[in-house]
Amino acid sequence: MLVGISLENKLQNTGKPKDCADEMSQALLEVASQRCQRSYSKIFGYFAPRLRSYALKQMGNEALAMEMVQDTMTNVWQKAHLFNAEKGSPSTWIFTIARNIRFDMLRKLKNRKEDICSDDLWPVLCEQTPDQNEVSLEEQVTLEQVNQLFNNLPEKQRAVIEAIYVDGKSQQEVADELAIPLGTVKSRTRLALQRLKDMLEDHD
Amino acid sequence: MINYHPTDKQLQQFAEGNISPALALVISAHCDVCSQCQEKVDDINIELSSVIENVRAHDFKDPAFEKMLADIMHLPVIDTKPVVAPRIELDGRFFDVPRPLQRFVKNTGNWSRLLGKVWQAPVDLGDAGMANFIYMEKGGRVPEHTHKGTELTLVVDGEFSDGLADYDSGDFIIMDNEHIHSPHSNAVEGCLVFSIVDKPLHFTSGIARLLNPFSHLFFK
Repeated sequence: MLVGISLENKLQNTGKPKDCADEMSQALLEVASQRCQRSYSKIFGYFAPRLRSYALKQMGNEALAMEMVQDTMTNVWQKAHLFNAEKGSPSTWIFTIARNIRFDMLRKLKNRKEDICSDDLWPVLCEQTPDQNEVSLEEQVTLEQVNQLFNNLPEKQRAVIEAIYVDGKSQQEVADELAIPLGTVKSRTRLALQRLKDMLEDHD
Repeated sequence: MINYHPTDKQLQQFAEGNISPALALVISAHCDVCSQCQEKVDDINIELSSVIENVRAHDFKDPAFEKMLADIMHLPVIDTKPVVAPRIELDGRFFDVPRPLQRFVKNTGNWSRLLGKVWQAPVDLGDAGMANFIYMEKGGRVPEHTHKGTELTLVVDGEFSDGLADYDSGDFIIMDNEHIHSPHSNAVEGCLVFSIVDKPLHFTSGIARLLNPFSHLFFK
């Protein structure tokens, strides 16, 4: 099964990378063309320990480092035919694979609470349309209609919303101007936003 | 012609893997269509990959390596024959997209009309969050806005202007709270862009400011 490992182990210790670039290129070709396990073991023996050291430095975590080594070396085994010696050395190719794996891992680690929904970012003022050709003019919510939603708000709520979101004032500034408690500004804001949301949903 | 590129520092961080996934995606899509930046990244890759060769290798006698090697060699080869590249469709028109974006075409939702002649299709990037394809018809305009976070844009097809500059296919644009702009397209064929924002837009002018409560409404 593990033919060649102890043998190839010597290779990593010789340590002259440029001397073995050609040898690694050849080994990759043999993996690509014949699924040569011996050649793959040679590549693995050279790169896996190096990738591990590199990954440990970058990620500072043994388990993550080994995961990166495994994912990277799996790609090398499964996609050796994509290696093109004319475009670069084996170590550059494997390094870029490792970098992409790192990106994938970062994505997975990214804090979920930062996740966002596109609706948050682009105010969605229209319905999803399976076939946009069927959209009638009546179905499009326009800025004028948004304006109408505002006009449907109770006067006191509307004043607070416009001061905060349109004029860009802080809640405290609005409280001072209207001579009302900050808590009242906050509750009016909350009620108004809820009302706008309800009106949007009714519109849908 | 491409005039707007990532900075050398961003390309360096991209090659190092020290950059947010969203930025990495947009930079890689830019490099796919910009040979100038791709060459820079290739050079940085060569330089960086020498660290793998020069690093002091971990002891290979770790039994975990033996198991890993055996496990990997049990795996089948992945056949990566070139398939027909997926494209973005809008109203019967098909748009080629840079290769790094192609795998997200199937995660792209229906087009919906944002405002006037501006259309939007949401893209689920999975763990990297959400993005949008935005299409501006000729004469389409996004109301003037600034950004509470960062807005990354890659021009996929066509030209548009935003009051700050004129952009063409392949241009890489990064905007934040220091920029106020109003993207619009006067191109006959309109303009398709790929965009990622991490915080709500903040509309800055006229009646469009009424949109702001809605940005906040969904973003708590």
